[in-house]
Amino acid sequence: MNAKEKITAPTFAARYPELGTGPVSTDAYCDPAFYDRELAAIFKRTWLCVGRVEQAPKAGDFFQKALPTFGYSVIVARARDQQLRAFYNVCQHRGNHVELRQRGHCVGFTCPFHGWTYGLDGKLVGVPDAGGFFDLDKGKLGLRQLALDVWEGFIFVNMDEKPSQTLEEAMGEQGRDLVGYPFASGQAVFEYEGTINCNWKSMIDSFCETYHVPVLHRHSVKDTLAGPDNPYGRLIDCRLKGPHRTQSVWGNMAYTPNPVQGLAWQNAPGPAVTSGVVDASVTLPKGLNETRAKHWSLDVTVFFPNWIIVMGSGMYFTHQMWPLAANKVVWQMRGFLRPASNAAQRFGQENSMVELRDAVLEDCNTLERIQTAQDEGLITEMVYHDHEIALRHQYQVVKQWVEDFEQSNKKKGKGAR
Amino acid sequence: MPKSARGEEPLLPKGFKRLTPLVADWVLADSRARLEKRLTTPPAEIRAFYDQMLGFAPKALAYLAQRQLGELDAAEERLLKLLLSLAEMGPAVEWYGTGEYPDGFDARRFRLIEQMPDNAPQGVSA
Repeated sequence: MNAKEKITAPTFAARYPELGTGPVSTDAYCDPAFYDRELAAIFKRTWLCVGRVEQAPKAGDFFQKALPTFGYSVIVARARDQQLRAFYNVCQHRGNHVELRQRGHCVGFTCPFHGWTYGLDGKLVGVPDAGGFFDLDKGKLGLRQLALDVWEGFIFVNMDEKPSQTLEEAMGEQGRDLVGYPFASGQAVFEYEGTINCNWKSMIDSFCETYHVPVLHRHSVKDTLAGPDNPYGRLIDCRLKGPHRTQSVWGNMAYTPNPVQGLAWQNAPGPAVTSGVVDASVTLPKGLNETRAKHWSLDVTVFFPNWIIVMGSGMYFTHQMWPLAANKVVWQMRGFLRPASNAAQRFGQENSMVELRDAVLEDCNTLERIQTAQDEGLITEMVYHDHEIALRHQYQVVKQWVEDFEQSNKKKGKGAR
Repeated sequence: MPKSARGEEPLLPKGFKRLTPLVADWVLADSRARLEKRLTTPPAEIRAFYDQMLGFAPKALAYLAQRQLGELDAAEERLLKLLLSLAEMGPAVEWYGTGEYPDGFDARRFRLIEQMPDNAPQGVSA
């Protein structure tokens, strides 16, 4: 990048005046009562990502996905009709898990308690000593199914029996703008999980502003995602699309990699997200680096409520937040790298994984300290920079979603819960 | 598998004999073991490993670029695993100058619940 391309500062507050510029309350980040309202209004009725179609490509394939927020897991299975279905992993006899393996291939599920068996389509097919039951109606005792739909190979479920939106509607413009990205090329997969003592939204926030990059990440990605031409880590762009949002993150193309890092970049199946290199063979969808900036490294797209895709031209990874309490979250980061075309590229893959993990580790003490300050009332309002607009947006979207849900329940004459 | 003059199988492919002293400590089972090694090894030892490996790494990577995952013999797999340890130790030296994380969030609080196998075919790009 040369000086003429020096980053400008789009005024996001002017682009999105409805979000205002004043301080934002910390209430939604530390109030246990609000957390309960979020669960009811958001997590029990929005589409939640549980995996990818490559995890169950053939009829008979299944995998489990734990949903830490709820304490149970769902089974995603592909039946002989090739349809994917999602079920609560709960036997309809007494409630035990019907499948203990995390993934596999089978003709059906057998509860290890009394041996009730279910087909891949969830239908109850076998009950040992069925003659001893009273008025047993097998047709009504299939595995409880969840709504399931697929976006770009990602499998989503919804706990609402009648979701208020289809997945396509929920993904909206943000989803449409990313159609065509080569998500299926990410076949070398790794996943980290951690329990962090912070609000789920705080962890999302930490991936949505780069104002902290030159300081908090001074040992790691300061010189790749910021640098002399962008010393304060300003974003290239931030676009709000309904409840979702995308940040385009700057890249220092003049950066000289460290020795091992440089070897890793040379021996990788695709450009690392921080390398400042864009794979010209990849046609970027409209919504990725939407301004087509030259000094671009990656986009961070947050799909409401709890799923983030971080995309470069040669690799991507996802973050998912599963709240356990107002001040506790299970975070999962799943990396999707292109397969190695030779053994040396395994080195580049490993280094990508390690660098990502290390960079996220740098965020976590801060997140826990923020939470303590909020829980103890030592900070009650946040003052946001223009380039922290994503945080302001998340707050308002969550608040609005909860209020709209409760209002609609009142109109229906039901309680808010 | 070529044998050495004494009839023993070499620990590493030809041309990488000088890395043999690293094999016992730095050829590790998987990614989890490599992080644990990083967290339990004194910074000076990490630095010594880094320095020794770095000189050979371009040659080792060029060698492995001619090979496929899943088709490596035992000596080649050891060479790959030495490189994978270097991939883990790289940031320890280049970013932090130590195996520890500054402002020390416990790296063990992140669980690697799914890892890429070190030496298995990865299929073809879609």
